[in-house]
Amino acid sequence: MPDSDFLAALRALHEGGVEFIVVGGLAAVLNGAPVNTFDLDIVPARDEANVAKLLHVLHTLDGIYRMQPERRLKPGASHLSSPGHHNLITNCGPLDVLGTIGHGLGYEDLLPHTIEMETGGGVRVRVLNLATIVRLKEELAGEKDLAVLPVLRRTLEEKQRGG
Amino acid sequence: MTEPDAQPKTDYSEDGVDLTLIRWMLSLTPAERLQVLQRQVNAILAIRRLNAGQ
Repeated sequence: MPDSDFLAALRALHEGGVEFIVVGGLAAVLNGAPVNTFDLDIVPARDEANVAKLLHVLHTLDGIYRMQPERRLKPGASHLSSPGHHNLITNCGPLDVLGTIGHGLGYEDLLPHTIEMETGGGVRVRVLNLATIVRLKEELAGEKDLAVLPVLRRTLEEKQRGG
Repeated sequence: MTEPDAQPKTDYSEDGVDLTLIRWMLSLTPAERLQVLQRQVNAILAIRRLNAGQ
């Protein structure tokens, strides 16, 4: 499996003109939470034009489904237009394209809860804010979510104190 | 004269979270935080490869 290169993946999406929001562990890190993650989770806009741009970028990144990688299954426009999750492996590492997160929240729902961040080399991306990450994890309350919640909550408190 | 601290200073929340680590991360820019994560991931994967047979 190729190693994760977060900035290269973000740059490809940014330069490809894809509208997307960084969510999950990387969003938590960009917000200042000391947690680890090995994949990049994004929620893209699912309109026809954006899906076409995303497909082009995934093609350049050689993106295929991580499940049964020997079959080299590639997502199509109909897949990426759906609210489902697409767990891909690319030449920049694992990339999860999520149609919705939480209880059915898509790009347009999440957009008001994002901040734009510079991630290096002029690559600016929209990132889900920490308060929303915490709220979604509290709502989902899965084991994985609950495990990381104390760190996220304390990070949010420190940020709100002006840290 | 001030007595030297008997123990190194630590700062944990009631639920055991290391607040000094959080404050250090918050002192960085998002680009620097991404670099920290990338270095950690690279290091972990390198160690995994070195111990692949175990």
